[in-house]
Amino acid sequence: MLDVALVSLIQDMSEKAGVEGTIQYWARVGESLAKRMGKEAYMGWPSFNVALREGRTAFSIEGAVTALTDLAITDVDGDVVGYIYALETCVFNPTTVRIRYSVGELPRADRAVADEYNNSVRDTAVCNFCVIHQRFREEVSKNIAIADQQLDCLQLAARGFAGETKITEDALRKIGINPEYVRSLLRNYACVYAILMKGARLKGEEEE
Amino acid sequence: MSEKIIETQKTERRSLIDDNPLVDVAACLFLEDIADKQGASGMNNYLVSLATSLAKSMPVEEYDTWDDFLEALVNGESIISAFEEVISITPNCAVTKKCPFTRGWQEYTKRIGEFSKIHTDVAEYYNSVYKPCVINSMCIIHQTFRNAAAERINITGKPLKCANIAAVWEDGTRKIAPDEWLPILLEKAQITSTDLNMILRNNADVWVIYTD
Repeated sequence: MLDVALVSLIQDMSEKAGVEGTIQYWARVGESLAKRMGKEAYMGWPSFNVALREGRTAFSIEGAVTALTDLAITDVDGDVVGYIYALETCVFNPTTVRIRYSVGELPRADRAVADEYNNSVRDTAVCNFCVIHQRFREEVSKNIAIADQQLDCLQLAARGFAGETKITEDALRKIGINPEYVRSLLRNYACVYAILMKGARLKGEEEE
Repeated sequence: MSEKIIETQKTERRSLIDDNPLVDVAACLFLEDIADKQGASGMNNYLVSLATSLAKSMPVEEYDTWDDFLEALVNGESIISAFEEVISITPNCAVTKKCPFTRGWQEYTKRIGEFSKIHTDVAEYYNSVYKPCVINSMCIIHQTFRNAAAERINITGKPLKCANIAAVWEDGTRKIAPDEWLPILLEKAQITSTDLNMILRNNADVWVIYTD
């Protein structure tokens, strides 16, 4: 219920504070959620991936996340510095359905906020809620250390409720993954992202 | 209707009630952010307008008979029961089996820690200024929504009215209507105080529904 109420607030907030104001608000919510969840440390990637599978990491609040361990990200020396992860159901999906059956349709501001975010921040949002949870993931990564190294998160692709997709080709080039492969992942998953060691020397970055 | 179809509908309805806890936790933090800037009274105003605007965005309803309304209520077809599973103990007594905010709260306490004190502070403010019937900020949203939704429902041409008799939060905290109101509310709901205590053992909310 709180989620549907929150969505009904988006229109009001966007009319009063502008869509830019809503973006700032949502980004702050994502940031503060991550900060309040505290720090985590893991011995290595296997222990992190197990924690993720068992729903013990901060990332797990979003729902079932699959570690695509066949998609390891390697650095220029060929060492594994990260993996690709896929969220099965968009966190906003149940809310969209509930709005459909209780209120009727999503407020216009949902699209407006996503469009503004895509134009002014980064072209990765399929709905207004992407602002919260993409920021949330970035901040969560900063709070997690694997083998004493801080993590970083790259948004790779997302599929919206009506099937619209956003694929971040720049980020994919950096980690050396074919965009078409990620596109095929979106058939089964709603959101795909990479978690990797902060500051890792990636092949794609070196080539640039 | 066959039992299988009814069971499928119930499962679909339950899955509709379930939301993703991240959204609820994010909403709680958003409210805490507001409280940091505007205090308990500012947060209260936000909660009330949030719930009222949600109810106003939902379609109005009309029912020919009280029984039609009760059927829609328990089947989750009415806006007033869109977010919760409701049963009717008597024709005028509705019971919410599980608080719709429980899941978000559980996830909050699991992932973040103790529920911020501001959520109970704002309830104290609400109880002293409006009606003494809420446990925390979630109850303010819930009960305000219910009252605003009731205003959008007409039964045999008369607007629905509702009032909270008692609420129990997940941690066992109870809030029962003040002693001076309780006998009147129980009479309208056609239950006794013993019935009320029995209902509260394994349900979240007890409320009375009526028309003038």
